[in-house]
Amino acid sequence: MGTVQMLQGAGGMDAAAEPTELIAAAVGGDMRAFEHLYRQFSPRVYGLCLRLTGQREAAEDCTQDSFVAAWRALAGFEQRSRFSTWLHRIAVHSVLARRRGLRIDYEVPEPAAGLPDRADPAAEGPPLDLERAIARLPDGARHVLVLVGLYGFSHAEAAHALGVAEGTCKAQLHRARGLLTAALGLEN
Amino acid sequence: MKDATQKSLDELLAELPRDIVPPRHLWRGISGRLNATPRRARPLVYALAAGIACACVASALTWAVLHGRATSPAAALTARAANFDEPRNPRYIAAREDLEVDFHERLKLLDPATRARIEASLEVIRRAHEDIRKALASDPASPVLEQLWESTWHDELDLYDHVVRATQPAMTRT
Repeated sequence: MGTVQMLQGAGGMDAAAEPTELIAAAVGGDMRAFEHLYRQFSPRVYGLCLRLTGQREAAEDCTQDSFVAAWRALAGFEQRSRFSTWLHRIAVHSVLARRRGLRIDYEVPEPAAGLPDRADPAAEGPPLDLERAIARLPDGARHVLVLVGLYGFSHAEAAHALGVAEGTCKAQLHRARGLLTAALGLEN
Repeated sequence: MKDATQKSLDELLAELPRDIVPPRHLWRGISGRLNATPRRARPLVYALAAGIACACVASALTWAVLHGRATSPAAALTARAANFDEPRNPRYIAAREDLEVDFHERLKLLDPATRARIEASLEVIRRAHEDIRKALASDPASPVLEQLWESTWHDELDLYDHVVRATQPAMTRT
């Protein structure tokens, strides 16, 4: 089993089934049920926040903010959407709200200027290279790539969450894909 | 099987882990803030978390093997290690080394098949840890890689913990 395959199993959630009993209990005010939901869903939320922010501390803060906001809003959660989808939207809002408030500067170079050569591709493997390349994408392109390309948002959902036009979202994804393709030396 | 250069971008994206295990202290901060919110009138009494969920398939497998063998805790030693958040903290290292010594002693108490599976799991974790360390060496500023590196570090600790806990009764009997 490779590194990535192992880590993909890290706290992962079944896409087909949601813990409806736990969700219902949490909606009813059961904090212990909510803690179970945290343990199940926090790896996905944290991964999303970490890739959107590019900063560990910011990602930790946003993850905390997301679950606190979710708890406060849970009483109004009507299960018309999946809990995970609802929670991920909250996470994106937390990231963007924090960014607007604190004006975070991402300390990553432009993609064309500084991607390291892969000295030992067999040892490191493509996903870790890709992780680095994603971190170096410009903010707008990275946000759309992370939401649409990694976490399954539709363009409409991503555009709504990011506060941009759907066309902008599509253009940013195209840009991100082009930059990643070039950075990783992939064929178009 | 395709090598890296033959894979498409979509295939590479599909291989990325969506989940990254957050630092363990996050829930403490969240629960503190939840208790301060007015949404719930009746506070709930928390039991201490029985254990940290295994963060990888390898340790989950090991847990499945060992589950049910024992309930007696090696809690004092484990808690001593788990309370240190920074893997580079000398006190954490010392506690971890203590736990590792116990782990190797307890491992000898297990049947050969179980021991082999645990050692295989440990190897998977250590190999992942080393892979990520190499990646970090060329990109030390990557928060994602840093978090993945710490996750595998904690996975190894969890594995030690599970074995020490699960073998406690056998140790007591001898």
